Amino acid sequence: MSLLELESVDAAYGKAKVLHGVSLKVEKGERVAILGRNGVGKTTLVNTCIGVARLNGGQVSFGGKKVSTIRAFTAARSGLAIVPQGRRIVPGLTVRENLILGSAPNRSGPWNQEAVFNLFPILRERADTLGTAMSGGQQQMLAIGRALMANPDLLILDEPSEGLAPVVVDELGDALVRLAQNGTSILLIEQNFGLVHKISERYYVLSKGSVVEQGSMRGLSLESLKKHVSV
Amino acid sequence: MIIQVLNGLVYGGMLYILSVGLVLLFGLRRVVNFAHGGLFMLGAYAGYAASMQFGFWGGVVFSVVALAVLGALLDRLVFRPLQNVDHMITVLVTYGLLLVFEDFVHTVWGADLISVRVPALLAGTIGIGDTQFPVYRLVVIAVAIAVALGLSAWLHFSRAGLYVRASSVDSLTTAMQGVDTERLSIGVVALGTALAGLSGVVAAPLIALSPSMGSSILIESFIVVVTGGLGSFVGAFIAAIVIGQVHNFGVVYLPNVSSMLPLLLMVGVLIWRPTGLARTQS
Ligand SMILES: Nc1ncnc2c1ncn2[C@@H]1O[C@H](COP(=O)(O)OP(=O)(O)O)[C@@H](O)[C@H]1O
Ligand SMILES: [Mg+2]
Repeated sequence: MSLLELESVDAAYGKAKVLHGVSLKVEKGERVAILGRNGVGKTTLVNTCIGVARLNGGQVSFGGKKVSTIRAFTAARSGLAIVPQGRRIVPGLTVRENLILGSAPNRSGPWNQEAVFNLFPILRERADTLGTAMSGGQQQMLAIGRALMANPDLLILDEPSEGLAPVVVDELGDALVRLAQNGTSILLIEQNFGLVHKISERYYVLSKGSVVEQGSMRGLSLESLKKHVSV
Repeated sequence: MIIQVLNGLVYGGMLYILSVGLVLLFGLRRVVNFAHGGLFMLGAYAGYAASMQFGFWGGVVFSVVALAVLGALLDRLVFRPLQNVDHMITVLVTYGLLLVFEDFVHTVWGADLISVRVPALLAGTIGIGDTQFPVYRLVVIAVAIAVALGLSAWLHFSRAGLYVRASSVDSLTTAMQGVDTERLSIGVVALGTALAGLSGVVAAPLIALSPSMGSSILIESFIVVVTGGLGSFVGAFIAAIVIGQVHNFGVVYLPNVSSMLPLLLMVGVLIWRPTGLARTQS
């Protein structure tokens, strides 16, 4: 069953058309990457799934079901948890409260506060401080923990490595590998090839709002991925 | 002296119940509601009308429920469509609503002052020091404290309260986590207007009812909200208490400039702290 499927999707902000006939699919248990330079429409893919960008044509399906009207909360309730670009930790809420917010879809599964704290021990230490008072890397962990609290079928990450120091990216990568080993389905939007190579099995390349290339990561070295994918 | 402080608390408490509704509305809808004073007035009149049939307490219940329903309707028809438009349009539309409410009350009940009797149960006085203080006024203070505590507990210890706090700072992110922020907003706006109704009906025995009673208190509740720090519940509480004292002090000792004092206080606070009392970070 595909957890997320876009079929010939056209999407726009008002009159500004951004996505043109994008088709992509993430199956259960898969780890898929979306590559592409700044401004090609990667975040707009996410925004289309939450109704921030308008779906002008084509079809969006969550968990095998066509979505007729997309509302901001639809994706989360259908088992798609988003770690948004820029993290979007809610100001004024503690780390713990940000996590509780993530459990809003009220789905059952292995993830709860304790499990998130075990994955990211720093969050336990900082549980009662304001989420926005933490460092960028810690906030990214919180954003991922918050998404996991929904017990999602698919975890969508939009440039999680953006603005983080290389050591922090490595740490984050290790956590994502652990999630991957546990069978978590992941859609990873990234410009960091190392991270993509570590996590994903399949990739799409986006350029000017269209999918220009796709392929399997199997047997592809990091160097040949970089060379192969002309982004 | 203690009597003066208590009277200040009565006014401050009333002001708080009214202002906190404004805070809720601004938080969820980013709408500055000039009609809020009108809702205060409607609450007072609705309670007065219903009390003829069902007694004072029936009037309180009727007023709160009626204003909640009105709030839910207003959210759908007015506040939600207004949340993304120019602030000037919001001001004009909600000010227009205030005029409509005033005209409505004028048509139904006329322009004459109407006084509402304190319910018999609370009509007595109680000795404080060597003076007598009306029991009803103490009850108004108690109601305000109950609203403050209840609201604060709800916001900080319940899941819905967490969603409200989250949604008032970042509604998109809150919705992305799976919260239906539209439904939440209707509920919160209804709560805000119900509180406006409550403040009106509770204030009714203390002030004469007139179609213009909403306009004057509206200014002071705006001063409370701005002084407290736009969108802050704690700030609104502190500001309401302080402005209640200032208002009362002014009425007693400086009657000529009393209406200016809260305004001066607001200007002073904003010079000292441009984001208001409760907002320490930007
Ligand atoms: N909220 C928005 N309103 C209007 N245009 C937008 C908005 N967000 C992004 N865009 C435009 O859409 C295009 C794609 O942006 P985006 O999807 O954010 O790219 P990416 O995530 O790949 O860097 C860009 O040209 C950007 O300027
Ligand atoms: Mg982006």
